[in-house]
Amino acid sequence: MSESRERILNRLLDSQVTATVSPVKQLVPQDPVPSALSADECLACFCKELDALEVDYYIEDSVDDLKQRLQTFIAAKSLLAWDQKYLPYGIADCLENENCCYDDADMAIQSQAEVGVTGCDFAIAETGSIALLSAKGKPASASLLPFTHVAVLRRADLVYSLGEMFAVKQDEIKNCSHLNIITGPSKTADIEMVLTVGAHGPGKLIVIIGP
Amino acid sequence: MKTDFKHRIKQAVEDDALRTALSKATTTLRSKRLSALESLPDSDLTRKQARSAKQEVLNNFAYYAESFEQRLLDHGVTVCWAENAESANQHILEIAQRHQVKTVVKSKSMATEETNLNEALEQAKLKVVETDLGEYIVQLAKDRPSHIILPIVHMSRQRVGEVMHDTLGLPYTDDPAELCKHARTKLRSEFLAADMGISGANFGVAETGGICLVTNEGNARLCTSLPRVHVVLMGIEKIVPTMQDLDQVLKVLARSATGQKISTYTTLIHGAAKDGAVGPEHMYVILLDNGRSTLFDSPHADVLACIRCGACLNVCPIYKNIGGHAYGDVYPGPIGSVVTPYIRKQGHWKQLAHACTLCEACHEACPVRIDLPKMLLQLRANNQREEASFIDEMKFKMFANLASCPVLYKFATKCFRSFMNIFHADTWLRKSIFVPKQWTKHRDFKTPASQSFQDWWRERSKDV
Repeated sequence: MSESRERILNRLLDSQVTATVSPVKQLVPQDPVPSALSADECLACFCKELDALEVDYYIEDSVDDLKQRLQTFIAAKSLLAWDQKYLPYGIADCLENENCCYDDADMAIQSQAEVGVTGCDFAIAETGSIALLSAKGKPASASLLPFTHVAVLRRADLVYSLGEMFAVKQDEIKNCSHLNIITGPSKTADIEMVLTVGAHGPGKLIVIIGP
Repeated sequence: MKTDFKHRIKQAVEDDALRTALSKATTTLRSKRLSALESLPDSDLTRKQARSAKQEVLNNFAYYAESFEQRLLDHGVTVCWAENAESANQHILEIAQRHQVKTVVKSKSMATEETNLNEALEQAKLKVVETDLGEYIVQLAKDRPSHIILPIVHMSRQRVGEVMHDTLGLPYTDDPAELCKHARTKLRSEFLAADMGISGANFGVAETGGICLVTNEGNARLCTSLPRVHVVLMGIEKIVPTMQDLDQVLKVLARSATGQKISTYTTLIHGAAKDGAVGPEHMYVILLDNGRSTLFDSPHADVLACIRCGACLNVCPIYKNIGGHAYGDVYPGPIGSVVTPYIRKQGHWKQLAHACTLCEACHEACPVRIDLPKMLLQLRANNQREEASFIDEMKFKMFANLASCPVLYKFATKCFRSFMNIFHADTWLRKSIFVPKQWTKHRDFKTPASQSFQDWWRERSKDV
């Protein structure tokens, strides 16, 4: 194995001297300038993108309203959720009486859940994306296995661009095994370019934006 | 071999259903790409940034390859280096054996097509399941993908319905939503049962050791988070230097491929599951050479900047008419015509470079501005140098003599015009040996005007 490594690297080193790569002017990657948009404008941009992606979203100005909204999606459903310490606004309370499993459950059981309930580590306004970091207690499966995914976002966690998120959260991202940036429901257009939703991941994504 | 390619082209050109499907798909993707690029504040600048990110690696290739490897090792990932396809497959088989793997799920990876991995795994009695919907259908139909982004662009919904009915015993339907639902259910059980997930990598981030995967379906997420072993097969040229560079290339990838601002699922993986989190226990990255270092040493090294968006396919008038299968190998279209001879190391693939009109559409569409037409022209010139016969040389010498002597040239054109005026479109003479059949089979052959422009001008000047 290491012989292959040496041979490949040596070939690259030898070729580097004579390689006919184009002299492309070295542009320094743009520093992600925190956008000039205000928090409200950012939110409006985020919502516009969510509309285009056919993601249902709700903006709630109080924690009580938010909890009530959440109830409408989880009542009488089997759930797969993040651990309470990772869920914002104390919404773990809403899950107490429900049929809810967590990441310590068998994968077959997790896969039966109808609704996944998670928080969001970040959201990106420019593309209408939510970003979820996985760890013990906040499994990636909650935003992947159930057909419906309800994501609760803290308004303060909304940034404008992916570049900003990468800049601010680089250390956290590289110390986490999976960062998932989710933009809309799972979809495919493989068959005759006809768009179908719910290919493998959730076919329904709901974002509840809290105060 | 030349005749094989011509035969495949002939079959494709005569397949009306294929050409209709290709036309629809490529036209849709072309216009979506253009609208999506408009959503960038300065798409030209972003494309330059993306190109500069890839170029930086090419300017220091060995350094970035080693840095990337080191960061991967820091995350506890096992790194293997594969000089060729056989070596890559061998590594993966060894890993499968080490972990007593019986079932493998795969997300879409052109690199694994390149190495013919599925065949190698199946020969070793492993069960392999493709999970991208298009690739799954291709696998069930024992077919080959015909487009980098849309593997079954060549299949009608009726054909897909037939395949799923015949191979899975499901009731026949040609409704895409129903077919998708069937696939979802069937593949969900495969994901849950699999021991190993194999993916490619859209990009590798040298600075952090991250592997970036993008899909719209979510199958890559399932492949890389459920099974206990995750294996990545990645071409060495997929590396970008930093996370900010990743941001730039991501900005142009989805826009150029499908017209989206970003793919539905963009996943960045740093090692196997950590600290008791649920996920793969072991992660392996296999860095694949397979002709890339040879490409790097060639005049076409720039082609290693390719981000596999498929935009060149969608604008190529040749691809639009013959589709992916006619090219005969994994990578079709303009990009395939340049890289295939290097990956396959066989001379006969050089003929692909001749299936090109040099219209420059691919150069314009390429998000990282690879000058594919220039490369194709160079390949053609090389071919000509290698293969030119004495007769070819004589033909060109004769034409050169004719064209560089004004009197002779004028005389020749006058003869040609009179000759052509002997017959027009409908007569039997047109289809005879006097007029090349290759041309008239598919194209018009208009008779020239009765008077040359120069003569007309001369007369007109006299009158004035």
